Amino acid sequence: MFVLTEMEDDIRVAPHDLHRPHLTAVSSEIKAKYFDKVLRNVGLCVSLHDLQAVEGGFIFPSDPGPHFTVRFRLVVFSPFVGEVLVGRLVKCDATGLSVSLDFFSDIHIPHYNLQEPSVFDEEEKLWVWKFNDNDMFLDMDEMIRFKVVSVKYPPLPVEQEKGATAFATMEIVGDINGDGLGLLSWWS
Amino acid sequence: MKVLQPCAGLLTNHEVFQLLTDRGAMGAVDVSQGGMGPAAIECQVYRYLCAAPAATQTRAAVAACTEWAASFGLTRAETLQLVNLRPSQPVEAHLIISDCEMRLPGDRVEQLLQAVEETLPAAPEVEGTEEEAAAVEGG
Repeated sequence: MFVLTEMEDDIRVAPHDLHRPHLTAVSSEIKAKYFDKVLRNVGLCVSLHDLQAVEGGFIFPSDPGPHFTVRFRLVVFSPFVGEVLVGRLVKCDATGLSVSLDFFSDIHIPHYNLQEPSVFDEEEKLWVWKFNDNDMFLDMDEMIRFKVVSVKYPPLPVEQEKGATAFATMEIVGDINGDGLGLLSWWS
Repeated sequence: MKVLQPCAGLLTNHEVFQLLTDRGAMGAVDVSQGGMGPAAIECQVYRYLCAAPAATQTRAAVAACTEWAASFGLTRAETLQLVNLRPSQPVEAHLIISDCEMRLPGDRVEQLLQAVEETLPAAPEVEGTEEEAAAVEGG
């Protein structure tokens, strides 16, 4: 689920932070710049693992903040294709399910990746897996085990319609069609 | 900004949990700009991992489990998932390991699950039966 990503960047420490130790000031700049941001084709940055090298500290004309060249490693949420994850079911509609890990919510399980046969119950607005004459409802807020099918980084849209949902920079498509997949309670 | 290595190494959930604990993620989110306390995302990941098997694991347990996995011929990705998910049923093991019937015939799967059961501590219970489970497992 998590990988280490080695990065190099030019970090500027603001003048009002110069009283702090260099490493602390550089770490908080990295925190502000990277945490909770998606690096395209890499993943969602979660935390700073360590600083490997801090060089420089040069001051350029008419800029009071020193610039450091920093090499560091970030902890990045980057599931691989085929990985099995456990999340919570947060939304159900005719197109499929929406699953959330507490820190990441853009996980979609399309209707064709549900256990077969599954039908959408219009009254309860929930998906139901019809297994051997049993109706197994996919209730909301249940823990669900799914397999990662793809991780997509859609390009930024040039225009969005008014009222469209917030744009997702990282999307995961999941699959619960298989033994052991689906609600945890089905297989325990 | 340069990405030198997009994947310099895989991290188990336990290693991330340990890192976030050291950064104080169980406390309140530090909203001050330039503060050294935990960020909101770190607290959210910590909360998620608290309910995962990673929360009760130790480095020694993970190392022991990894050795066992190697003796069964599992790949790195399969070992990672074994440690992260701590399967207790054969169906979960079949999910993680590709070509399971061919590579682990007979009761090799049971032996693997037995090794996991012995090396890794039980996952934290969700519905308040934590003390009960801990007493039964014996820690």
